[in-house]
Amino acid sequence: MSTFTIARIDLKRLAVRPFAWTLAGIVLAMMAWQFLLGVSAFMHAQPTVPGPASGPGFTDAVVAPYLLNYIQLCLVIAPLVTMQALAGDRSAQRLALLSASGASGAHIVFGKFIARLAFLWLLLVVVATVPLVLGGATHPDWGQFGAALIATALCVAALTAIGIACSAFTPEPALAATAALLIGEALSLIDAGLRITGGEGGWLGYLALHTHLAPAMRGLVRSEDIVYFLLIVALALALAIHRAAAERERG
Amino acid sequence: MAKPPALLQLDHVSRRLSGREVLRDVSFSLQREDVLGLLGVNGAGKSTTLAIVAGVLQPDAGTVRIDDRVSNEGLCTIRARIGWVPESVPLWPELTVSESLDACGRLRGLSKPLRRMACERELARLELQAVAHRLCGQLSLGQKRRVGLAQALLHEPDLLVLDEPGNGLDPVQTAQLRELIGKLSPRRGIILSSHELAEVEAMCNRVVILHEGRVRHDAKLDGEHGKLDAQFRAIAAQPASAAA
Repeated sequence: MSTFTIARIDLKRLAVRPFAWTLAGIVLAMMAWQFLLGVSAFMHAQPTVPGPASGPGFTDAVVAPYLLNYIQLCLVIAPLVTMQALAGDRSAQRLALLSASGASGAHIVFGKFIARLAFLWLLLVVVATVPLVLGGATHPDWGQFGAALIATALCVAALTAIGIACSAFTPEPALAATAALLIGEALSLIDAGLRITGGEGGWLGYLALHTHLAPAMRGLVRSEDIVYFLLIVALALALAIHRAAAERERG
Repeated sequence: MAKPPALLQLDHVSRRLSGREVLRDVSFSLQREDVLGLLGVNGAGKSTTLAIVAGVLQPDAGTVRIDDRVSNEGLCTIRARIGWVPESVPLWPELTVSESLDACGRLRGLSKPLRRMACERELARLELQAVAHRLCGQLSLGQKRRVGLAQALLHEPDLLVLDEPGNGLDPVQTAQLRELIGKLSPRRGIILSSHELAEVEAMCNRVVILHEGRVRHDAKLDGEHGKLDAQFRAIAAQPASAAA
């Protein structure tokens, strides 16, 4: 009950703040521009594609890169949306108010996570609607589209959880955003060198976001990729809960 | 007949914050219908004591009992009996006063009809009807304090914990606060902190003077202003080494 109450309060607060609307506006405008560029490039490439069976389709050429672009944007906007979650509430004594009202550390962390994730998933729904509009004319591969959407949603959840954890561990929202951005970028770029040289990823490769996004963007939903994203969410939230629960001891 | 247990009992409570011993062996009790004033200069440990009583801070040593139950056991049950208003009132600036009270009611687990009833009761009791639909971030300090009190009173707590409730209030608002505390005290215990002797004397029937994290004086107020004033001044003037 407390979890959903906290999520509800935070969603309401997000909804009335110009910050969230501005952010949503910028993201949607950028995504619309990316989509138009993708469609335009696809249209120009069409006559040169040798045959419909061997060439990249609309989903491969437009939708998958489009959703990857949303993930790239989320590397920046997830830290911005989550930075105030615990760091801001702590300095304004609102965490103490929640705690005094009977909410546990887990209630607080889950509530704040759900609110931020709902906002970013809502944006994802709007973003995903754009290629759907052309669904009738372009005949997308629905299986591949679904797989890419699942991977994007899970990746956004992981980035949100990292942002919440950073907000729990830092006293300043700006510091939380910076830390979350650095961790997200590190996960995104960790295997870049290996990919360029064409080497095997090993454990570094396993840690990289790209390793777990690429198969889904090709239409392959692998349980190990789902487990990877869920592990990040679980680990980040567990750390945040531990920190929030320790507030009473630390003061 | 056995004496009923104290509503609030602190036994040998100690607490360190940032490496500094803020509270040392603090013990006192509070009966229902008592209004206890925690008096002390800045940094005496008043807010820390109240945060420990409210359950938002854990003591390093000692116990806090509410009706003879240790507050660390069954924390949620104990917290449901406490209403806490810290010195800087925590509000959600983006929510209206009504929404804020409703959210607090939800957090306290009140059902919808109970919540509605409680919100209307507190809006009326604290004369907040006129600003019920105004955003909390747009309220004056006095109004914010009243909203904080309304949040704390929603679930009709047995124990009300107020940290520096008179801070930043004008004389009219201070008089209203005194009147309100007078109205609230017959049904519950109230513990409030202040560094102003006059405020404590006007609102409380008991006083505990804290100095350097220790209880230096604990007595019923007998109306002898001059005596308490002299005691407070003498304690406050003591250097840290003397207090230890």
